[in-house]
Amino acid sequence: MEEKKKDWPPYAPGTHLRESDIRDKKITYTWWEPEVQYAWSLGPAMSKFLKGLKEGKIYGIHCKRCKRIITPPRMFCEYCYGPTEEWVDLPDTGIIETFSISYLDPDARRIEDPILVGVVDLDGTPPHHGFMHYFGEMTKDEIKIGMKVKAVWKPENEREGSITDIKYFKPYKGGGD
Amino acid sequence: MTFTEKQTDPTSEMHWLGDMQADYFYPNGIAGDKFFKHLKENDSFLATKCKKCSKVLFPARLYCEDCFTEIPGENWIEVPASGKIRLFTIAKLDAHGEKMKEPKIMALIDIEKTNGSILGVINSNDYEKDFSGVQVQAVLRPKANREGTLKDILYWE
Repeated sequence: MEEKKKDWPPYAPGTHLRESDIRDKKITYTWWEPEVQYAWSLGPAMSKFLKGLKEGKIYGIHCKRCKRIITPPRMFCEYCYGPTEEWVDLPDTGIIETFSISYLDPDARRIEDPILVGVVDLDGTPPHHGFMHYFGEMTKDEIKIGMKVKAVWKPENEREGSITDIKYFKPYKGGGD
Repeated sequence: MTFTEKQTDPTSEMHWLGDMQADYFYPNGIAGDKFFKHLKENDSFLATKCKKCSKVLFPARLYCEDCFTEIPGENWIEVPASGKIRLFTIAKLDAHGEKMKEPKIMALIDIEKTNGSILGVINSNDYEKDFSGVQVQAVLRPKANREGTLKDILYWE
């Protein structure tokens, strides 16, 4: 322990502790590492959605009162707070609702080739209903709001029940692939 | 599943398990440090006496908790590790809420020659006895094993 060290900026009165005081056990103290375990659950709706992705399906859920299909699904409708019922199987196509050209990778490192991310407005849902994802097989100059896109899935044996079971959304002309 | 059903087991759906790191470090401070270092080497306690209101503070403190007067170094006194039981209770559950094989008698002990008191375990399994007012003596760990914490007091008898 060290008495009032006035040259140390910013000056604060009192007795300062140094790391070596603790390491060399120069002072007495209590050290406790509590065991704090947690289980973070997705809940029934998101669990079913992600398990569906593993099977190559995109699930939505119907709110009968608001007459809309919600995806990613929720157990309640955030508009009317009523319970949602009736699961629906949605197509893996949609349009680009909004997008961003990012020169930062997911770890916030600067990259030369930008990644394209944005919200996909899925077909079979009312306007502005969808989720965020990557866009691929298009350049930053080609990407446009309103562009038709289709999901590119991981091979079935590589899927793990995660949103990344869809690799990205690629441009799509409609009709066949 | 409808709206009113409740799920209380988070592991019944897709979930992630994790550990939160929440380490806790509590230095005893200037007075506390002196108190525990003394306990490590001796079989007695340290207390401080306030000059203004003559209250004897146990465990030793740098400021009187009644009149906030700073207590100088020469007012440190050594007091015996003994006292009188003021209150006691019988604990049947441990810190995790589990039933203990043998209940523990916990007591608040007024330390001799001081105005302070300390919580401790009474070394007895006489659960019918009224312990209030009983004189007890602290049983400390062998000096070689002491750590300078409250755990150096094993129990009271």
